[in-house]
Parts: sequence; C-alpha cells; structure tokens
Amino acid sequence: MSQSAAKAAPASDPTHAPPVVTSRDLVKVYGRADSAVHALDGVTVDFARGAFTAIMGPSGSGKSTLMHCLAGLDTVTSGTVHLGRTEITRLRDKQLTLLRRDRIGFIFQSFNLLPMLTAEQNILLPGRIAKRRHDPARFKRIVEVVGLGDRLGHLPSALSGGQQQRVAVARALLGDPEVVYADEPTGNLDSRSGAEVLGFLRDSARDLGQTVIMVTHDPVAAAYADRVVFLRDGRLVDEVHQPTAETVLDRLVKLES
Amino acid sequence: MLRTTLAGLRMHKGRLVTTALAIALGVMFVSGTLVFSDTLRESFSSQVMGSAERMDAVVLPAQGSEDPVSGDVLDEVRELPEIDRAAGVTMGDAPLLDKDGRAVGSVPTAGVSVGEPTRFSADEGELPDRPGEAALATSTAEATGYEVGDSATVLGPDEQKHEFTVTGLIDFGTEPSLAYRGAVAFTSPVAAEMTGAEGYSEIDALAAEGVSAQQAADAVSAVAGDGTEVLTGQELGDRLAEQAGAQADALATGLLLFALVSVVVAAIVISNTFAILVAQRQREMALLRCVGAVRRQVFTAVVTEALVVGLLASALGVLAGVGLGYAGFAVGAEAFDADAGSADVVVKAQTVLIGLAVGTVTTLIAAVLPARRATLVPPLAALRTSATATALDTRVGILRMATGTVLLLASAGVVALARQTDDPETGLYLVVGAGFVAFAGVIVLSPLLVRAAVAAVSPLMRALGVSTALAADNARRNPRRAATAMIALTVGATLITGYSVVNASMMATTTDMLDRQFPMDYQVRAQFAEEGPGVPPEVARDLRESPEVAEVVAQRSATAETGDGFVRYTTFRGVPPEEAAGGGTDAGDLADVGPGRVAVVSDVAGERGVGDTLALTTGEGERDYEIAALVEGAQSSWSVLMDPEDFSSAFPEVRGDEMLMVSGAESAGDEELRDAVYAAVEDRPTLQVDSMAQMRRQYEDVLNTAFLAVVAMLGLAVVIAVFGIANTLALSVLERTRESAMLRAMGLKRAQLRVMLMWEAVLMCLVGALVGIGLGVFFGWAASAAVLDDLLFRVPTAQIAAFLAAAVAAGLLASVLPSRRAARTSITAAMASE
Repeated sequence: MSQSAAKAAPASDPTHAPPVVTSRDLVKVYGRADSAVHALDGVTVDFARGAFTAIMGPSGSGKSTLMHCLAGLDTVTSGTVHLGRTEITRLRDKQLTLLRRDRIGFIFQSFNLLPMLTAEQNILLPGRIAKRRHDPARFKRIVEVVGLGDRLGHLPSALSGGQQQRVAVARALLGDPEVVYADEPTGNLDSRSGAEVLGFLRDSARDLGQTVIMVTHDPVAAAYADRVVFLRDGRLVDEVHQPTAETVLDRLVKLES
Repeated sequence: MLRTTLAGLRMHKGRLVTTALAIALGVMFVSGTLVFSDTLRESFSSQVMGSAERMDAVVLPAQGSEDPVSGDVLDEVRELPEIDRAAGVTMGDAPLLDKDGRAVGSVPTAGVSVGEPTRFSADEGELPDRPGEAALATSTAEATGYEVGDSATVLGPDEQKHEFTVTGLIDFGTEPSLAYRGAVAFTSPVAAEMTGAEGYSEIDALAAEGVSAQQAADAVSAVAGDGTEVLTGQELGDRLAEQAGAQADALATGLLLFALVSVVVAAIVISNTFAILVAQRQREMALLRCVGAVRRQVFTAVVTEALVVGLLASALGVLAGVGLGYAGFAVGAEAFDADAGSADVVVKAQTVLIGLAVGTVTTLIAAVLPARRATLVPPLAALRTSATATALDTRVGILRMATGTVLLLASAGVVALARQTDDPETGLYLVVGAGFVAFAGVIVLSPLLVRAAVAAVSPLMRALGVSTALAADNARRNPRRAATAMIALTVGATLITGYSVVNASMMATTTDMLDRQFPMDYQVRAQFAEEGPGVPPEVARDLRESPEVAEVVAQRSATAETGDGFVRYTTFRGVPPEEAAGGGTDAGDLADVGPGRVAVVSDVAGERGVGDTLALTTGEGERDYEIAALVEGAQSSWSVLMDPEDFSSAFPEVRGDEMLMVSGAESAGDEELRDAVYAAVEDRPTLQVDSMAQMRRQYEDVLNTAFLAVVAMLGLAVVIAVFGIANTLALSVLERTRESAMLRAMGLKRAQLRVMLMWEAVLMCLVGALVGIGLGVFFGWAASAAVLDDLLFRVPTAQIAAFLAAAVAAGLLASVLPSRRAARTSITAAMASE
C-alpha cells in the first residue's frame, strides 16, 4: 500500500506544484439581457497538483457555480477550464460524463449515498459505473484511513452522519481521480465528525498526493486547506496560503465590509 | 385549509395526471357500458314498438299454452263491427333450401304468413302478395346469399319442392321465435299450405274508423274465448320491448362485470398514488401540524384532494364513456340485429350520476388509508432532514408472512374441497371463492414476493452491468410501493391467464373426447323436429355401399320416462359398442355389451354393480338386463347403451337413425368422400351433413373469438395497471432527483440512467405478470376441473408467452416518460433543490 502512497511525495508547499485544474477568464451568466446575473465574472485561477484548496466567499459569491464549472457539471458562458491537458469547456455532455466518471471524484454536502446499497457497495459504485477494477490494496488502505472497517456491510441508514460522509470520502478517493471536488462536505455534520472528515481530506492530499478542491463557508474548515481562495460577486478577490481559522475569518470580515 | 389543499393540488397536478387517467378509464368503461346498453335497448324497443303499434288489437295464445288460436276466432273477429280488418299469422316449419339444395340450419326455417294487415314490413323489396312469391328474413338471406329477385326452393309438408321468387327481405329483429331459425314469409293461403299448420300463432286486427284500440281489443276479447289473450298493439309492443331489453340487460351485466375489474384495478392504482404522495409530502403535512392543523384537518385535506381529483376525472370518464358507448353501438349494433341508424345515443341522467359516483366514491375509498397515514405524521417530522435516510423501512413482519400463508393454505383447502364436490356449480363457486382468498393472501405477501423475486434475479442483473444492478436494488428499496403497483397488474394477469387456461383445457378436452369417439369425417342427422322420423335406414345402407366410405355407425336413441325422470337409450350399429361410444368406464367393459347385457350410467344403476340384473322401462314395458359396464354420468350422452337387437325389440317404433357417423376410406380423397356423402343424401334435402373438420374449426373459432373478446375486456384493466406502474415510477423519480443527479455527477451516462429506470419498470411488470400467471394457471385448472370431470389440463404457453412479452413491453412503455424526465434534469439544479 505504500507504493500507491509514494506516487506523489508531498512537497513542502504543495501549492507550488504544477497546476492540474486551471480556469481562464471564466464567465457564467444566468438569465438573459436585462435580468442577467453574472455568477462568475472572469475567474482565472490555478489549482496545484496534490494541493488541498478551499474556495470561500459570502453567499451568492459564485463559489458553488465555480466548482460546478470546474467539475464539468455546468456549462460556462465564456472562458476555459482545463483538467490536465483536457479543455473541458469544449467537451460535449457525453464526453463530460466520461471525464467525470474517470477523472473526477465528488463529495457532496448531504452525503448522497444510495440508500439501498451498503457502505462498501456505495464506495465501489463509481468503479462499477466505469467498469473499472478497483485496487484491493488501495481500497483496504482507504477504508482503514477513514475508519470504516467494521461498518462496510451496513446500509447508510444504519450509519451516523459522520460515518456516511466518510463513506462518501472513501468513494471519491478510491478511483484515484485527478481531482476531488467537495461541496460543503461538513455542512451537515457536527464539529467533531466534521473535523474527522476534513482531516481525511487533508491527509489524502498530503499522504496520497490527492488534489482536493473544497467549497465551504466555514473558516474552520477552510483552515484545513493548504490554500484558500476568496470569491466575491463572481470575482477572485484574495487568497491565503497555509491558512488558519483566524486568518481566514479576518479576510472574510474584510470581504464583507 | 381548503385553500391550502387546492393550492397544493395545482402545484402537484402533474403527479395526479396518471391517477386521474386511471379513474377516468374505469369510469369510461362503466358509463360506456351503460350508454351502449341503453342505446341498444332503445333501438330494440323502437323497432318492436314500431311494428306492434301498427295494430289495434292482437290475439295471442294464452301464456303457457301450446295450442294456436283457432281459425274460428279469426272469422268471428272479422265479423265484429269494431274491427275494420284482421289477419291471422300462420307459423310452422317451411324448410328453405340453400343454393346447393340442402335445407338451411339444424332447425327448419319458419314459414310465416304476412296477411293484410300484418305487423311486419319489408326492409328491402316488397312483401309477397301472390302465390309464387316469398320474402326472406334478413338474417336468413344473409346466411344463404339469396337476394331480392332470386328464385328459392322451399319444401312443403311432404318434402315436395316449391319454387318461389324472393320479393323482399323482412327484418324480424328480435322476434323471439324467428331470430334463431330464420324465416320465409308467404301470403296467408300459401303459408297454410306450405307449413301444413292449423290455426294461428297470432291474429292481428285493425279497428274500424272511430273505434279506439282499447275498444277494439275489448270487443275482440269478448269473442276470442278461452286459451287466448288479447292485447292492444301498445301492450304487445311493451311486452316485446321488455323481452328485447332483457337481451340488452344480460349484455350490460356481463360488460359491467369487466368494468368492475377495471374499477378495482383503478382503485389499487389510486390508493398507491395517494400513499406515495402522502409519504413524499411528509414534511408538508408535518409543517401543517406544526403551524397548528389538527389531525382531522390533515385527514380532510387529503380526502378533499381525492374528492376533487375523483370528481374531475369521473366527469372526464363519463364524457369519454358516452363516446365509447356510441362508438360501441355504431360498430356492434349489427351483431345484435339492432338498427344502428334507428336510435340516437341514449344518455340517461342516471348514467351520468352512476359514472360520477363510481369514480368519486372509488377514489375516496382508495384515499382513506393514505389519508389516515397522513394524520400519523408527527409535527416533529418537519424538522427531520432527509427522507431518504428513513425510506428504507422494509421490515415486513412475521405477522404478514403468517397471515399470507394462512390465507394461501385456506385457499388451497377450499380448492381441495371443490375437487371433492360432485356438483360442478358448487365446485365452481368454491373455486371462485378460493381465488378471492388466495388473492388476499397474495396482497398480504406481495412485499415479500417482490423482495424474493428481485433477490432471485438480482445476481443476474448485477452481472449484466451497473444500470441493471441499480435497477434491481431500486426495485427492492420500497417493496410495499412496488408490490401495490404490481398487484394492480396481477389482477388482470390472473384473469387473462386463468381464462386462457380454461379455454385451452376446454378445447383440448373436447378435441380429445371427439378423438376417442368413433373417428368420423362426416355426420349426418335430420333437422330437429319433434317426433321426426330421423335419418331413414336407407341412407346408412347407401353409404355403406359407397367405396369412398370405410365405415358408417348408425346411432339410434329413444327416451323413456321412469318414476325418477327420463332415461335415454342408445345403440350403435356398424361397429362394436366400445369403438362407437369411446370413453372409459368405472367398472366393467363396454366390449361386453351384447344381447341382454347393457352399459348404464351410475345414476340409473343405483346400488347395482357389474353382473347384477337391472329392470328397465322400455317402449315395450319393463325388461330385465344384465349390467355389463358402469360409466360416470356426466361424460356420456346416453344413460343406457344397448345391443342393436335388444334395442329393436325394446323400441320397435324407432325406425330411423338419430345420427350417422361416417368415416372415409383411406383411398378416398377429401373431395371424393364429400361427393359420396352428399350423393347419398341427395334425395333428402332436409338431412344435415356436417364435416367434422369444419365443425372443429368452427368450435375452435368460437372459443378463440370468445377468448379475444374476454382479453380485450380485461385489457383495459391491464392498461390501467400499467398507468399505475408508470405513475409509481414517475413519483419515485421525483423523489430520487438528487440521487439521479449524483449518479450523473459520478459519471453515469444518461442512457444508463434510462436503462436503469427501464429495468425497474420491466421488473415490476414481470413480477406482477408472473404472480398473476401463477395464480391464473392454478385457478384456471381448478375452475375447469370443477366443471369437467375428465379434464385435460393445458397451459397455453404461446398465449402466456405473448402476455409476458406484452407485460415487458408495457414496462418499457411505462418507463419512457419517467426516465426521460430523470435523464433530462440538470445535475446542478437537482443538487441545489431539496
């Protein structure tokens, strides 16, 4: 299991590694003409390989839209998004589906496990969709890391919120995706479970070299990241490296004013 | 509260469309049937009223009397000052020959007189008014191909041929005695001569100027004397209309039974929809409770919703039903001898009310349970986060298992009891009762059945790919919901399969009975007439001499009355009794039947067994015979089978054969044999020659047509059930919007999502159909075994396979709209919405 971990050794500051996801002049307009809303208004940003980045901003700042556009879940009005060498903004729906399937992992706010599948089946689901054989060693290691060993056979309804979200994390990580997007992953969790999940995300970036991009409005959550980028009114307005909860909160307060 | 309900209805109207359709279809069937039968009845009665009302006074033989009205009565009626003119209707046998020179029908056509006046008028052409002229009943003309202007041959009382020119066609409509046998109409003197009938079956009279119908009838009544009945034309019309109406009523009752099935299925569908809606709106209900609504108000809200939906859908159903009834009448009128052009569509206020009531009340009843469940939602549920976390409450109690098993066992017990019962009717009722009990058991067990069935196929579906694997899991996640949707289909599947099994088994059993009998190619018998001479023995003799004929079995029968009832004696000449009679025996051997030794059915034998002596009443008094064999009563057409010699001495007055069974020689071709048989009966046009191949074909045609008609009637119930499955799926899709979005985000292709839902629907349909097929096969067997002792059980695999294929197709169809919707939803929008 150490082989897969050794693949991308963490640099001292992973945010300086070459970018895996880049966006250039990203614009997303909802509605048309007079009632148009600029959810994204020219966002240019790079996300380094193996880094854990948080996207922050007040409500309506466009942080969720940015994540959806970066992940190929939503179309952009103009500008480009690259995942590695692929310009995903040029892809059609079907190609996007395959791209998400093979190269991206997702963690959502409300867990989004399939209620009729056991924890293990949920973790293996993306692999089944992609008809991909999973690496048993990686599976074992991930399950171990997120601490689900004895709960694998349970249905989601028998798991606590924190456990469910750990299943979701394991699911996102198993396929060794180029990037994992997490949308408010701790939004529905109590602070202890939230801390555990965030710890796993940070560890997966450090130990497995996993690129993680997380949208959150919680400064404490953002403090787990290597870097925080701030959005306001659809524009990238600030960023912090090696953040702490205090520095993040400080910037947020400034943004709001 | 009412405003909230209505606002909710407007918001969710899409979810209720299929429910409304299910109700509307059921109501359409009910009101369509009523409109159809009312229109048919109206058409019948306008026809008969029209013909009867032309008369002022009518003399009929008293009800129950067999004797015609004597000719003297006509003379006296004509003398009456109140009567302008009167004519008697002669009625008797007047066998019409078809274009091949053979008598038409197994009963001779009726010869009827149309005098002046007469109730009947020509539909086409004119009534006969010369000796060489005749008019045919429209049905007879249709059967024989005669047209106005043709020349037709009718046999007189001594079988001499008379030529007539067809001057017109008369529609006798529903006139009871003429509808079945057909008729030839002559002028009064010719009719009397041709039929040899004395007296009149009816005297029609017109009143003199200034005399009312009632006065005329009273005057006629005074002279008509005993044994007659005098009616005004109006009264006769009413009576005939009532008789004709009975036919329409019987039809309506049959159709309403099928309509009932549709309504029941619709009720199941509605109940399921409301249950799902209540479950989905748990938070809404809880919120209402939070803001202070009491349980009663929540209950009323759901019931009000049902009331509004039920009323609207029923109104739609009644409208569609009126259209259906009228279309049905326009298409089907001919089959019932009704005149499609004669009546406007009849929509009674009663029909509208019944349609509305059936739909609304059904909807209300179906909504009561879900509404009660809605009241049990605690206010706190509004604060709970996700419904998906609690959706998987699949625990189905041991109680359910136990109740279901007990019901199924009870049903099996009743079927076993029915097998013990001798009386077919009681047996049939027991089987039907057992069917209901078993169905209740299946309903109780259905969630378990769904789980078990899906569990059985899921390894296969897992192996097929991720879409099918997810479909299997989805089908299992809410077994109760899936089960109810499935049960709706099971109703139709059970009935269709059951009927197809009965149909196939009957066909096989009858064919087998025919096969076991003497292997005949042709059958020759006399036209049915009381005390008829039968087939003259010369015919059998001639046929035996023909080289194309291998063997001829002549069957003779006589009936003798004993203290207990009638005993039917039969003998076969030409081949040994065991070959001619066929079939098995309970004891002894048919081959042992010979002089002094008879085979009898067990009822006649009483306590006696083979070898015992039995005294039988014959045409020549009581005689003793030894019992050679005993047979089961129900399977033979005779009660005593005798040796030909015994028969001749016991019934010397029987000189003709009842029926000849003719088998062709190996060397003779079909055409040659046919020619030979017809040559032997050429001089005897009234003998009926039937080809067995043709009879079997006709018999199969009749059964197949009946099968198709029944399937068509039950088809609507299946369609409603498929609506229910589509609706269940659509509502599940709505519920799982986020889930679908997540699957799409994780890389599930749109097509895969569609395939998943498609399989889910197909799985539901298949389980429903298979459970129904299982029940149908079992109860089809039980029902036909109750009626037929020697049943050959047949499962019509082709028909069942076709039905299964239809179920799969229905599943595919049911998934089209829901899966389109699921695949189209934008991922980000679905993620954002709760």
